[in-house]
Amino acid sequence: MGAELFDLRPALAPLVSAICAGLVMLVGYRPGWRAGLALAAPVLKFGVVWSMLPGALAGTTYRISFGEVLPGLAFAFRVDALGLFFALVSSTLWIAATVYALAYMRGRPGQQRFFGFFALCVSTTVGIAFAENLMTLFVFYELLTVCTYPLLMHDGGLRVRRAGRRYLVYTLSGGALILAGMLLVWHLAGTLSLAGNGILSGVDSRPALLAVFVMLTAGFGVKAAIMPLHAWLPSAMVAPVPVSALLHAVAVVKAGAFGLLRVIYNVFGVDLMRELGYAQVLGAVAGATIILASIVALRQQRLKPLLAWSTISQLSYIVLAASLLTPAAAVAAIIHLANQAFAKITLFFAVGAIERGTGKTRIDELDGIGYRMPLVMGAFTVASLSFIGVPLLAGFITKWYLSLGALEAGAGGYVALLAVSALLNAMYWLPILYRAFFRRPESPAPVRPVSLMMRLPTLVCAIYVVILGIGAEAPAMPFVLAESAVRFAFGMHGVAP
Amino acid sequence: MFCTGLYILLVRQNLVKKLIGLNIMETAVFAFIVTTGMVEGGDPPVLGAGTGPVFVSPLPHALVLTGIVVAVSMTALALALIVRIKREHGTIELDELIRARQ
Amino acid sequence: MVPLVFLLPLAAAALLPALFGARPRLAWYAALAVALATTVAAAVVAGALPAAGELRYAVGGWAAPLGIELRFDRIAAVTVAFGAVTALAITFSRTLTDSVPRPVLFYTLVLVNLGGLNGFALAADLFNLFVFMELLSVSAYALVAATRQPGAALAAIKYLLPGAVSSLLVLFAIGVLFALTGSLNMADVGARLAGVEAPAAVALALGALTVGFLVKAALFPLHFWLPDAHSAAPGPVSALLSALVVKVGVLGLLRTFELFGAAAGPGLLRLETLLTVLGAVAVVAGAVAAVVQHELKRMLAYSTVSNIGYIVLGLGLATTASVAGSIAHVFYHGLTKAGLFLAAAALVDRTGLHDIDDLRGLGHRMPWSATALSAGMIAVAGVPPTAGFVGKWQIALGALEGGRPLPVTVLLVTVVLGGALLALAYGIRVINALFFRAPTHHRVVAAREAPLSMLVPLVVLIGLALSAGLSGAAVIEFVRPVAEAFVGR
Repeated sequence: MGAELFDLRPALAPLVSAICAGLVMLVGYRPGWRAGLALAAPVLKFGVVWSMLPGALAGTTYRISFGEVLPGLAFAFRVDALGLFFALVSSTLWIAATVYALAYMRGRPGQQRFFGFFALCVSTTVGIAFAENLMTLFVFYELLTVCTYPLLMHDGGLRVRRAGRRYLVYTLSGGALILAGMLLVWHLAGTLSLAGNGILSGVDSRPALLAVFVMLTAGFGVKAAIMPLHAWLPSAMVAPVPVSALLHAVAVVKAGAFGLLRVIYNVFGVDLMRELGYAQVLGAVAGATIILASIVALRQQRLKPLLAWSTISQLSYIVLAASLLTPAAAVAAIIHLANQAFAKITLFFAVGAIERGTGKTRIDELDGIGYRMPLVMGAFTVASLSFIGVPLLAGFITKWYLSLGALEAGAGGYVALLAVSALLNAMYWLPILYRAFFRRPESPAPVRPVSLMMRLPTLVCAIYVVILGIGAEAPAMPFVLAESAVRFAFGMHGVAP
Repeated sequence: MFCTGLYILLVRQNLVKKLIGLNIMETAVFAFIVTTGMVEGGDPPVLGAGTGPVFVSPLPHALVLTGIVVAVSMTALALALIVRIKREHGTIELDELIRARQ
Repeated sequence: MVPLVFLLPLAAAALLPALFGARPRLAWYAALAVALATTVAAAVVAGALPAAGELRYAVGGWAAPLGIELRFDRIAAVTVAFGAVTALAITFSRTLTDSVPRPVLFYTLVLVNLGGLNGFALAADLFNLFVFMELLSVSAYALVAATRQPGAALAAIKYLLPGAVSSLLVLFAIGVLFALTGSLNMADVGARLAGVEAPAAVALALGALTVGFLVKAALFPLHFWLPDAHSAAPGPVSALLSALVVKVGVLGLLRTFELFGAAAGPGLLRLETLLTVLGAVAVVAGAVAAVVQHELKRMLAYSTVSNIGYIVLGLGLATTASVAGSIAHVFYHGLTKAGLFLAAAALVDRTGLHDIDDLRGLGHRMPWSATALSAGMIAVAGVPPTAGFVGKWQIALGALEGGRPLPVTVLLVTVVLGGALLALAYGIRVINALFFRAPTHHRVVAAREAPLSMLVPLVVLIGLALSAGLSGAAVIEFVRPVAEAFVGR
């Protein structure tokens, strides 16, 4: 591996958006300032994160450390391949989400708070990505809970409050579990560093390892919405659309999935996981989640809950892939972080645009919408086809590698499971497309023009889905990073998976 | 004596009586401390004609003296508070005060 | 330098009414300056500690064990926090003069309290320990009753009676110890206790001291006086009481253990078990009680009960990690709780409303105070890297390290984490009410943000509480020798 370099940028990346958040809250009562700040920060941060890419590709690891919270446990950032990949995804999507949100939230109350916390959320996400140790990761993980809460509660009202309470109960209990697990890791290994691949490898107390595994996977599993820990997600759909997009495509659920990846690859390490065999149980749970969530999604009448259930199903792809413990599957797990994010955010943007344009939220109201909002529905089509797994779209790549990985692991059953899942996906996405493009509306409702600032991000994200699909080697999203992360986790050097 | 005071403090509802209980306890402790200084056959620790080589330890007396000062100031404060309670609520029976608040 | 730490506030307290009797504003400046100077003095001495180990100072030149001796050790370094919090509380009470009948006397009492606190931390002999304890207790009783608010006097007397009994218990124990050893100097008593052949009497003294200090520390179930006193007192006084004065019980407990270290082996072990159990119960009971409270300040008071539980639990677990965590938590909880009470006082005083439900929507009227309160709530729950985290983490670690049977370990860790979760639960209730509910009370709609003299101290304290975790390693390392001495008896 390359050199470790002291560098300000890992800290700068989360800091940019945190400062932006502070400024928005201070001077954001002026719409112009607010919009300017809200746009400047993601662009700046985008630059900072991408500027670390060449170095990271050359094998350099950037790190920076602040005060020690406990003896031997610093508050520190460290950029490795996996973290940088996650940060790239989130900072790219942040630009799109901000542009969209500026248009979507126009004229609504409480924008100052909204954009402040919006920026803070992304700040914490990058913090999670760059965390050097489990403690730093946990800090940002909890901060993310705290920051998304006001966003979720933005619209107020009884239903929203109930959803907010449920969200907190779930995520904070998860947080407590992680904390307990962390405590045990510290007790067993004497370190929480995420820099190695397997800090627990020297521990041979089975019950303790099992306890750590259960606590950490259950803790992160709450945000990754593994069944049966998923119930907060569908009810969290009461939030404004950009929040749902951010929560479900970028920040919260991905933080959970990312945490799981860290636990499997960096805390336990692949070798120890293979030896212990706990991953098979996790894989089975994830497999069940994929199918069950899809079945529930089939029965949804409204668009947003449908998206939520689809998210639950898609996230378990990542978990399943990670639990297979083979290089190809690991690639699938990591790139699905990006694939699912881009496709799902496209869908959310489209749904939000439809809601803004026509006021419609139910699936059976969508007859003929494809002709009224061609751009938006085009994007919707691309993203949903990607989820079904049509070749040349992003989702296909995931499934390809995942199937490879499953075969590698000798778990051919999962290939069949993927096929069933693709079928189920087709069963709930295709009827929507059919309605949108092939049914005449009974009474053509007037369509309000939707701002370009909402349509453009939708389109860009859809294009990204295509690029990710055709150009696995294309420079748009550096899959090379995913590969180098996998090589590190599996202790391989120079062998392409 | 200590227990008598504690009993009064716990059982009586009248604040003044509680305070008296407290004072009885204090006296008990002071008396105890003074006896610890007692030495068999010792003389008062005052130098003068006819005093032997064995003295009663003077330290406890100093302690108790300070203790009494503290106790007096506390009693004074408590009495002032009780007067204020009487003025505000018209009673100094604790159970009545608690009932009045509900 | 050492005697300055407690002499400065006491001397100033004596002069304050004489010099500025009729001029509260000047008295405010003077009191603030004195508190700050005291803090600086304490900080200078504390800064010299790592090099010197322990600073001793014989008052009037008489050597120990006969003379009066002061000792500035690592535990006494907490006087820096005492001074700083007091200074901030005085700053905060600049505009309090409207509700306090005699502001100059108020400042005087605050300074007496500070002198008592610092003296208590410094005292090297038992009797001075007692005198300073009484000094700070009596001033605390008086401070509770310092407002015109009805019920304050009642709360004060309810605070005074158990307080006085606990003081008597301590005095009684001191008497017993003197009878046994013939000395009052703590180091001397400790050394001589080892040779005393009267286990019953030693146990009696130990028990009386422990119970006495536990009442002062308000450990559940001896906490009954605390919620009334802390919620009825004026804002800055609540901050002082909850952040500093209860900690005297903890310090006393530490000194007690130090004292008996050499003497009572098995008795002390039983006591540790008792402390562990009581501490664990207090953590949960205090947090549960806080969750169901309606009044903001009362909720904070119960939160203190819960946090004292943590500290005592950590002492009871008696591992280096947990004891260091407990001592760090004394310091950290002081910062956080002082900030919380000041923020709560700002909200409550500006609106005159006490119930959390009445304060709904105030976050939009008083954004700074409300944000500080919310952030403090998160800090007190112990979300890393805030101040609450370090202590709780160390205490949980101590529970793991103790080598106890598995179910006990699991239970203890669950208690530590569960207490933190409950703390989040009541914190979120407050945040919800302040920011996410529509105002229900007309006074909330009319409320204005607190003046700068109130905002500065509370923002400073909460800012410290939020970022304090980053210095956790330094604090833990600083108190580690104390913890090692404590455990290695």
